[in-house]
Amino acid sequence: MAIIELKNVDKIYNSKSIPVQALKNINLKINSGEFTAIVGPSGSGKTTLLNIMGSLDSVTSGEVILNNKKISEMKENQLIKFRLFNIGFVFQSYNLIPVLTALENVEFILFLQKINRKERYNKALELLKKVGLEHKKDSKPAQLSGGEQQRVAVARALASNPAFVLADEPTANLDFRSAENLLDLMQNLNKEYNTTFIFSTHDPRVIKRALRIVTLEDGLIINDQNNI
Amino acid sequence: MIMFSLAWKNIWRNKRRSIIIIFATTIGLSCGLFSVGLMTGMYDSLIDYAINREYAHIQIHTKDFKRDELFNQSINDINNIIKKISSISNIQNYSFHTIIEGLASSSTNSLGVKIIGINPLQERNVTGISKSIVEGNYLDKKNTVIIGKKLAEKLKLKINSKIVLSFTGADGNIIYAAFRISGLFNTEATNFDISNVFVNNEDISNLLNTTSPIHEILIKINNTDEIDKTKNEIQKILPDNLLVESWKELAPDLKITAESTDLINTIFLGLILFALLFGLVNTLLMSVLDRIKDFGVLLAIGLSRSRLFLMIILESVSLSFIGGFFGIIIGYIVTQYFNSRGINLHSFSEGLSSYGIPSVLYPNIRIATYFILTIMIIFTSIIAALYPALKAIRLKPVDAIRTIA
Repeated sequence: MAIIELKNVDKIYNSKSIPVQALKNINLKINSGEFTAIVGPSGSGKTTLLNIMGSLDSVTSGEVILNNKKISEMKENQLIKFRLFNIGFVFQSYNLIPVLTALENVEFILFLQKINRKERYNKALELLKKVGLEHKKDSKPAQLSGGEQQRVAVARALASNPAFVLADEPTANLDFRSAENLLDLMQNLNKEYNTTFIFSTHDPRVIKRALRIVTLEDGLIINDQNNI
Repeated sequence: MIMFSLAWKNIWRNKRRSIIIIFATTIGLSCGLFSVGLMTGMYDSLIDYAINREYAHIQIHTKDFKRDELFNQSINDINNIIKKISSISNIQNYSFHTIIEGLASSSTNSLGVKIIGINPLQERNVTGISKSIVEGNYLDKKNTVIIGKKLAEKLKLKINSKIVLSFTGADGNIIYAAFRISGLFNTEATNFDISNVFVNNEDISNLLNTTSPIHEILIKINNTDEIDKTKNEIQKILPDNLLVESWKELAPDLKITAESTDLINTIFLGLILFALLFGLVNTLLMSVLDRIKDFGVLLAIGLSRSRLFLMIILESVSLSFIGGFFGIIIGYIVTQYFNSRGINLHSFSEGLSSYGIPSVLYPNIRIATYFILTIMIIFTSIIAALYPALKAIRLKPVDAIRTIA
């Protein structure tokens, strides 16, 4: 079942009156449970594509259907709510809330979903266990290594039981070992819980682990292949 | 609760910046509160001293009472009136005044004065004139007079000096009478001291060869909050030709002072908060600009714009509240300290006494002022947060996330 469907999507940025076409006629379907890498050189449109799949950016033309909802018909406030319940985000720079502990960062999503205190505590703790950071639950982001922060970010992304997780260059700021650990974690979550991961990268270590590779160049999908 | 907790933690992300604005708020408000306390104390004592010195709480006169036709405007049937007003529970004490416009003369000078005939014992319980004696004694013997110390200086008279009081009698003849000065009073109002002399009513009766006319009845009440109610009660039971007035009608300038004190204080505190508002806006704006990327992430992961708005408002309210809390505490302590000791302004006493203001001030802040100030602090903090908060909620997450922190 397709949880992401892009039909004839174009994205043009009007920067300083010079239009830049970031995406050209993108047609893409991603099914539940996939472990997909969006790859391509810098400026190929990876981040733009991820932003559109995350409903963070609008398209110039075409249609975007996320988890069976046409997002182009939604207003900004509806989009925020949609993202809260349907999409998990992992950012390149982790982007945890610096004043909250690891546990509180994960709990925060559950708070936004109006889950009661006890339940969100238990669920957040369980997610930290899943990413192997239960013992760091009271640490603030500044007290965690980059790899640990990114694991907390994964736990946060999973907290809302999203239909899919979008990760924009998740290993870009990590050393080799931390990157490997993060990929192990994401892969295990994909296998064990059928969590859908879509990540942009140009890191060969990540590409190697992907089950499907979508290659972009100059805003066009030039290749879409399975990597099993 | 989580939003408050997050807002609270956020304000400590940049401790120095937050401490500076908290410090500014604390200093501004504590100084403002003390100034308000000083003004309130000054105005309150101005009114209290005036009531205690000359107006009492309530006065009764004839409706056509005019100072230039005093003999025609005396209050008749005093005993019956006293019997009636004594039945009103809020009345504490009363005294009678005979008021005669006259001339006080020494061998060197003459000045126009108001000669007030009193019953010394009654007067002691209603006005504070007996307590204002700074030299000599209160009216203790026949044919004695107490005059203001400043009047004595102008007439070059001392204790036990003779003073001649002259006035027009009921028959139109001028009456001259020599009195011996038994005491000099010194109130906080120069004009009062120069223009009033007090004699025993019995001495006036002797001079007039009849019972001295009573021109006004001064009444002191127990509960001053019920002054208007008591005034109306008295008016109801008195004959129509008598007019009952509280000090507010007798001294409308004091009434305006009393009524405008709180308003002036509120405006004053408002101006201080207005100045602090800009500091707060600046702090919050810097704080928002520092966190654009964070806000982008929060909006991306599902924080609604209304909650983001609320978070920034809470940050502003928390910052102001801490400063406000310490400002109020310090303002209260400083005011209480000087309230118990008084602020001695003797070097300015000449100037102050011309306005009836005592030279020792006791700052005082009304409880309502604290409540008003608290509401004003919250209001100011919300106003200050509006622009930064609107700036934050207008962010597009996709652009905000790309911002370099």
